[in-house]
Amino acid sequence: MSLASKVLTWARMKSPWIIHFNTGACNACDIEIVAALTPTYDVERFGVQLKGSPRHADVLVCSGPVTKQIADRVVRIYEQMAEPKFVVAVGTCACSGGVFDGCYNIRGGTNTVIPVSAYIPGCPASPEAIIDGVVKLLHSLEVAEAAATK
Amino acid sequence: MIHSLFAIFIFPGFLFLCVISLAAEFIDRKVYARLQNRVGPPWFQPLADMIKLFGKEDIMPEEANPLMFKGLPIFALAAVATAFLYIPLWSPESLFSFDCDIIVVLYLLTLPTIAFFLAGWYSTSLYAMIGAIRSLTQLFAYEVPLFLGVLAPAIIANTWSLSGLIAFYRIHPVLAACNMLGFFVSIIALQGKLEKVPFDIPEAETEIVAGSFTEYSGRLLAMFRMAIAMELVVGASLFSAVFLPFGFGLPLAGAIAAYIVKIVFIILLSCLIRTLFARMRIDQMVEFCWKYLAPIALTQILINLLIKGMVL
Repeated sequence: MSLASKVLTWARMKSPWIIHFNTGACNACDIEIVAALTPTYDVERFGVQLKGSPRHADVLVCSGPVTKQIADRVVRIYEQMAEPKFVVAVGTCACSGGVFDGCYNIRGGTNTVIPVSAYIPGCPASPEAIIDGVVKLLHSLEVAEAAATK
Repeated sequence: MIHSLFAIFIFPGFLFLCVISLAAEFIDRKVYARLQNRVGPPWFQPLADMIKLFGKEDIMPEEANPLMFKGLPIFALAAVATAFLYIPLWSPESLFSFDCDIIVVLYLLTLPTIAFFLAGWYSTSLYAMIGAIRSLTQLFAYEVPLFLGVLAPAIIANTWSLSGLIAFYRIHPVLAACNMLGFFVSIIALQGKLEKVPFDIPEAETEIVAGSFTEYSGRLLAMFRMAIAMELVVGASLFSAVFLPFGFGLPLAGAIAAYIVKIVFIILLSCLIRTLFARMRIDQMVEFCWKYLAPIALTQILINLLIKGMVL
């Protein structure tokens, strides 16, 4: 791996800016995501910042099953993000559709519409689990980068 | 020639300004975190953010004007970096000082706000446009108190050059204490210039996504962030020269130490304001600036005129 790409990977790992999007959750996972951003958990230690605009964000944090109505919108938000971008599915519903799987108005998990990099199960997923999931995603990124350039 | 190019681009010009503005951003964020009882970001955080943004994809809206969209971040950055060259940092003379340089510095510091406005306007996004109009509305509110506050010390000194100002206050150090009202006004107005709480209305992420910068990503956004980080340092340097004109006569190491202590003090004050207050509405902001800040700044000018007439 050249020095420049090493520095870039380091910077990407140290500064994941997230954007939070509710694709049809019952609000429980959203509360837990918001809790993870409070001073108690202090995610700024890892460089995580919540951004308002998808253009600024690196990680799209989705919660809830993808409803038919929101499916187009979540794709649009995903396409508005600048490369390199990652998606984290928070909660059982976002991972697989959960208890809503098979409903007439549900497409399924987040991965039915956009590629997902990390799955964080739980109903709702606890803030510790969410932070752990994001950190693991970043670590896997580093490993993948090292493997790709070998 | 080579010497002035080195001064402009390396030390104490652009590169040096980049380093200290990243350090200033770190101090600002860390103290903000500590005041909220958090651990806060590690020391390399602003650097990592900047490198990451430079490595990201640049997206430009189809409708946007490419020249303006790409040129404005560079314009904002250049304006702030140029203002820095005219401020005396630790030596009593700045690099390229001339008569009336204080006015030039103040106007160069206004340019980034105009760039933010135009950037939002040319992004052709609804949120960006609302943010742009808000930043311009805000400009009309804080700019007058800021100018009155910063120019008040120049009235006593009877000069409009920063080096003349410093030379005057070296002879009359007690008179610098009379300008504290102007210092207070200016530091609050600086929050508006930097678009920070309580005047972060143009960027209000809970209402209008990210204001003027909504459509910016990657390296262009990095340049805007850098311009704002630099603005904090340039503003702090200007205030330290105008309101705290001490330590310029010391030997070089002492003078540099005095400069760092002064700007860190001003950054801490700005950070304290950011922590203590919540965001205002745009009408409250304009009302506050015109009803309270502007009269206080005018009082400062009145005091200075009286001192000038009676004492000097």
